[in-house]
Amino acid sequence: MTERKRLSNSQISSQSKRPSSSFVAQEEDEDAMLTQPSTSQVQKGLEKLSPAQVDQKTAEVVQYILVKDQKKVPIRRADLVKNIVKDYRTVYPEIIKRASRIFEQVFGLKLVEIDPKNHLYILVNNLDTPPSNPSPVEHPSNPKTGLLFVILGVIFMKGGVVRDKLVWNILKKLRVDSGLKHDEFGDVRKLVTDEFVRQRYLEYNRVAHTEPVEYEFRWGQRADMEVSKAKILEFMAELHDQDPRSWTQQYKEANPTHTSSQASSSSHR
Amino acid sequence: MFYLKLTLLTKSRCRAEMRKAAAGGDEEAPLQNGSSGRRRAEPQPVEGDDRNSSPGGLQDEYDDNDLGRRREIRSKYRDLINSVQQNREDMLSPSNNRLTEVLDEADKLFQDVRQAREAVLDAHLLVVTTDLGKEKASQLISEGSAFDSTVFAEHLLSFMGLNRLEDEDDEPPNGGAGDGYLPKDAWHRLARRAECCFRTAPSFHYMMGSFYAEPPPPKQRLERQKKAPSKEAKRIMPTQLKKMEESQEEATEKEVERILGHLKSYYQEDPSTPISYYEFVIDPNSFSRTVENIFHTSFLIRDGLARLYLDEDDKLPYIEQVEEVEEEARSSVSRKQCLVSISQKTWRELIEVFEIKEAIIQPPETQNE
Repeated sequence: MTERKRLSNSQISSQSKRPSSSFVAQEEDEDAMLTQPSTSQVQKGLEKLSPAQVDQKTAEVVQYILVKDQKKVPIRRADLVKNIVKDYRTVYPEIIKRASRIFEQVFGLKLVEIDPKNHLYILVNNLDTPPSNPSPVEHPSNPKTGLLFVILGVIFMKGGVVRDKLVWNILKKLRVDSGLKHDEFGDVRKLVTDEFVRQRYLEYNRVAHTEPVEYEFRWGQRADMEVSKAKILEFMAELHDQDPRSWTQQYKEANPTHTSSQASSSSHR
Repeated sequence: MFYLKLTLLTKSRCRAEMRKAAAGGDEEAPLQNGSSGRRRAEPQPVEGDDRNSSPGGLQDEYDDNDLGRRREIRSKYRDLINSVQQNREDMLSPSNNRLTEVLDEADKLFQDVRQAREAVLDAHLLVVTTDLGKEKASQLISEGSAFDSTVFAEHLLSFMGLNRLEDEDDEPPNGGAGDGYLPKDAWHRLARRAECCFRTAPSFHYMMGSFYAEPPPPKQRLERQKKAPSKEAKRIMPTQLKKMEESQEEATEKEVERILGHLKSYYQEDPSTPISYYEFVIDPNSFSRTVENIFHTSFLIRDGLARLYLDEDDKLPYIEQVEEVEEEARSSVSRKQCLVSISQKTWRELIEVFEIKEAIIQPPETQNE
C-alpha cells in the first residue's frame, strides 16, 4: 500500500514541474502515433477504478502473457490491449508495471520489451542458473536447444554475422541436411529460418547485391536477452579443450567488464 | 536562344548526376582501407576539368564514335560486375588478389567515363567490390585463435556420442556426410549441456491439463452411419420380394403336386386306411414346415383332389384322396370351408399325442437327393 502511495506522490510531484502533461507524453513516447496515456491521465484513470478491478485486470494480463509465451513468440502490445486490457487502456502503464512486478516476485521471470518501436514483449528467466549443475528436477530436454546452441555459437564465434551457406554446411556435417526431412527436427530449413526467427532467437536477412540471393544470420533480440555469451564460450572451450581466453575477441565480448591483460587492438587492422 | 538554354540545362543535370554517382562511390570508400580510397582521389580532378570546360565544348561529344565508345565502356563494366559476382567464393580466398585487379581495371575504365549511365555502372561495381572487400576483411577478424567450423563440427559429433565404425567397409553409410552414426539421443545430450547457456522462461502449463470436448461428435457420427445402411437395405428388399413372390407361386404349385404325390403313394400302399390329417401334415422336426404342409394341403382340398373329414368316432380330422370323379359330381359336392390354425404348443402336443416320429411329407431338399 505504501508503495502505491509513494508512486502516486512521485507522479504528482513530477506533474507539477511540467507545464502541460499532454505535451510531455508525446515527448516521452517514442511512437507518437499510438495514444499512450500520460502520467496524469493514468492517475485520473486509477482514481475511477477500484483497486480490486485493477488487480483483476493485472491478473488477466499476467495469465495472458504466460499462456502466450508457451510458443516463445513475442507478445504484441497491440494484441494485449485489444484482447485483455480493453477499456482499461488509460491505466495501461500502471497495469504493465504491476504485471512486471508479479512476474518478478511470484514467478521469478522478467517481462522484457525487446522491441521498443513495435512494442514486443518476451518472458525471460530472472533466476540465476546454477553453474553447470544439472537441475534437481527431472525435465525432458528439448533437442531444439542443441540446434540453437550450434547456430548461435557459430554466429558468435564468427564475429556476429554468418552467411546462411555456412550454417547449412555445419549442420550437414552434423547429419542435419536442410534439404531433407530430419528425424528429430523435421523441416530444418523452416525451423531455422521461420520458427527461430519468429521467436526472435535468430535474425535472417537478405544480403544486398548478391546474385543469386544469399542470406545472413545474426543473433535475434530474444537471444540477446536469454543467451549468455560467456557460457557459450565456456562450452566452446570445453569442446575444443582450450582456454576460453584463447579467443580474445569473443572473450572480450562475452565478458565486457573484464579488461584482459592483453590490451590488444580490437578492431583496427 | 531557347534551344541553347535547354541544352545547357540538360548538360548541367548530367553533370549533377555524375557528381552524385561519384559521391555515392565516395561514401563507400571510407569503410574500406583498401585501394578504393586511393582510387577516388584520381577521377575527381578529371571531373573537375569537365565542369570547368565551356558548355559549348560538351556539345561536340554527341557523335557516333562516342556512342560506340560508351557502349564499350558499359559492356566492360558489366563484365567486371559479373566476374565479381560469379567468382565470389574464389575471390574470398585470402590468397586471391583478383579483387585488387578488378579495381585497377575499373580505375582505367573510369578515365573515359563522361556520362551518367556509365558512372552509375561504375558506382554499382564499387558497391559490389566493397561488399566483397568487407567480407574478406571480416575473415581476418579472428584474433588469437581462429575458429574453424569444421573442427567445431567434429568436436560436436564426438560430444554427441558419434559411433565411428572401424571394422566395416570403407564406404561411409551416410552418403558422404562422414562415417559413423549418431545415437538416437545425440541432440538431447547436446541440449542438456547447452541448456545452462539459456535463460529461457519455463513454459506455462496447467498442472491438471484442460478438459476434453471430444465425446459428443463421435456419437452423432455413429447414429448417422447406422441410419444410412438401413435405408438402403429397405430399398433393396422390395425388389427381392417381387422376385420371390413369382418363384413362390411356381414353388407352391410344385409343392402341392409333390404332396399329392405323397398322398397317392401312401394310398397305394394302404388304400383302406385313411390318413390322420395331423399325422400327414405334421413334421416333427420343423414347425415351419408343418405350417407349409398345411398350407399346401389346403390347395389340394380346394382343388378337390383330397378330402378332409371328421371321423364320427374319434372326431379327428382325416384326409382322403379323392378318386377322379366327374366334374359334375365335383361341383355338386357341397363345399365347406374351415380354418386351420396351429401353434407351436399345439404342434408339440400333437407330436406327443400321436407319437409322430417322422414326417410323411418329406422336406423338398431331401427329396432331391
